[in-house]
Amino acid sequence: MVQSILDAISLGGLYSLAALGLGLVFGVMRLVNFAHAELITIAAYTLVLTTQFPLVISLLFTVIITVFVALLMEFSIYRRLRGVNPAIMLIASFGLSTVLQRVYELMFGALPRSAVVAPFLRGDFKIAGLSITISSVITIVLTITILLAMGYLVEKTSLGLQLRAASADFKTARLLGVRSNRLISAAFGLSGVLAACVALILVIQNPQISPYYGLNITILSLVGIVIGGIASLRGAALGGFIVGVVLSSLNTLLGNGRVYAYSWLFILVLVILLVRPGGLLSKGTELERV
Amino acid sequence: MKQVGVTKFSIQNLLGPIIILILLTHFVGGASTSLQLITQFALCLFVMVLALQVFVGNSGVLSFGHGAFALIGSYTSAILTAPVNIKDNSLAMNQLWEPLVSPQVNVYVSLVVSAVVSGLVAGITGSLLMRLNGLAAGIATFALLGVAYNVFFNNKKIGPGSQALPGVPWITNTWILLLLAVLTLIIVYFLNISWIGRTLRATREDAMAAPALGISIFKVRLIAFTISGAIAGLAGGMYSHVAGTFQVQDYYLEFTFVTLSMLIVGGSASIWGALVGTFIITAVGQVLLMMEQDIPVFGIQFQIPLGSRAVIIALTFIAMLLWRSSGVTNGKEFRIPKLKRIS
Repeated sequence: MVQSILDAISLGGLYSLAALGLGLVFGVMRLVNFAHAELITIAAYTLVLTTQFPLVISLLFTVIITVFVALLMEFSIYRRLRGVNPAIMLIASFGLSTVLQRVYELMFGALPRSAVVAPFLRGDFKIAGLSITISSVITIVLTITILLAMGYLVEKTSLGLQLRAASADFKTARLLGVRSNRLISAAFGLSGVLAACVALILVIQNPQISPYYGLNITILSLVGIVIGGIASLRGAALGGFIVGVVLSSLNTLLGNGRVYAYSWLFILVLVILLVRPGGLLSKGTELERV
Repeated sequence: MKQVGVTKFSIQNLLGPIIILILLTHFVGGASTSLQLITQFALCLFVMVLALQVFVGNSGVLSFGHGAFALIGSYTSAILTAPVNIKDNSLAMNQLWEPLVSPQVNVYVSLVVSAVVSGLVAGITGSLLMRLNGLAAGIATFALLGVAYNVFFNNKKIGPGSQALPGVPWITNTWILLLLAVLTLIIVYFLNISWIGRTLRATREDAMAAPALGISIFKVRLIAFTISGAIAGLAGGMYSHVAGTFQVQDYYLEFTFVTLSMLIVGGSASIWGALVGTFIITAVGQVLLMMEQDIPVFGIQFQIPLGSRAVIIALTFIAMLLWRSSGVTNGKEFRIPKLKRIS
């Protein structure tokens, strides 16, 4: 029971990190970056393929490479699509996602690559007669740390202020002196860092990396940012958290029926959207041409 | 970005795509057996892209849910036509719910039924989904696809599970598929110039002004979503009869992405765009496949590494978007090019 609750919280935290990565980019340029999945995948590959180095070095590599790929996306493709209908940008990111999946397949092979990352984080320990897996505790600690750091960055720093301003109204923010290119690059870079964090946690739990590794979590966090309220970063994090907790609880509660967990989750999402079309944290209804 | 759309009947807008479709089917489909099969699949995909055009193109709301309607259409049509002894013995159907085992109808009747069933599902789900706006609507339709995939993949009473469903009777005559495609094209054309198409485009251009003019966004979107769901069901039905088999995975992310990219590459605002997009993506895919297998294309032999095909297709797609984000046709309907007088 305690383990299930911890699992639910840790999955929720993980999904909120992924949702935050998507939400950052959406906020500054109205782009739903489906290729975020491939940032998580490349980070996971890097982690698994650099296990011969100490963990810190390997992590550093991972962050650098992921941020590099994220910036590459922005410079090569998204920068040229700025101002285009968001629906078209979404489809373009779908295309980019396919490109990267196939490139990974060519580079690393279609079969899963695996290696033990951070072996000391596996196994379980006992507290008051309850057996608890180390990874779920570590996940929660890591997630809370990262969320606090992100919270500080978004709420207290100048960059965070600019990000929030741009999310609220990009045009006005530009008029007030926010440099759009720099800000958008920063948002992409941050989403890369977040993708690397997500990958680290995922790899500890499941070190079988295939070219489609990041797809599942990205689709679900996408759903999360919509139910949380796409217009705000808090909404994105909250939505991701809800999706993770619900999914984990469904998996525990449904027993043999857990193959239908996704169906129930999606039905719940539809219900939430019907009650609050703008998301849980929205203020009134906004019309958006997508 | 202002998009366009026809409002008045124009014979060249309607006949142009039809004639080109017939010519392409005749010359490409008649060239060799493998090209014939590709043409047949392309005709099914074209019907699917038309379905997307009706809703996505006119309303500007993305739908990832049409894969679900194609899946339902495909399954309905397959289950109504597969022989009873195959239903009893194949892995995909041996646990089928009793009332679904005995029905057995003609292939063409099954196509009509699949369109009706998908249309009904679209109508019912649409009455909930069409209350949403913007990006939320797109993601919600994605949830629809997710539910359909999850249920059909796991429940063997009403779906085929993870197995391929065998024994679906073939439609081998390309002309019948062409006839279905042309009929759909005519229906979609008249729909687009009717009040439904016009009001729907009005809601796409300005979601504030349209209701002010007395348009119910919910109502027109629901009508279009239902019709478009029915056409997607027909496309799915055709697809399973051309392939002779059917799998749930056929209608998931890749299918959704390929059909949407066909619509957007061609230009989502017009029927002509749907045709051009389907042709370009199919042709690029085919030429690259031949290159991958080291078969000469138009007499030129040029090999590309195995597996690079999908990368190049997706890159082509992105390049097209960067070059012209409103599609190759810019969303315009077919017009006979005016020849410039040489002075």
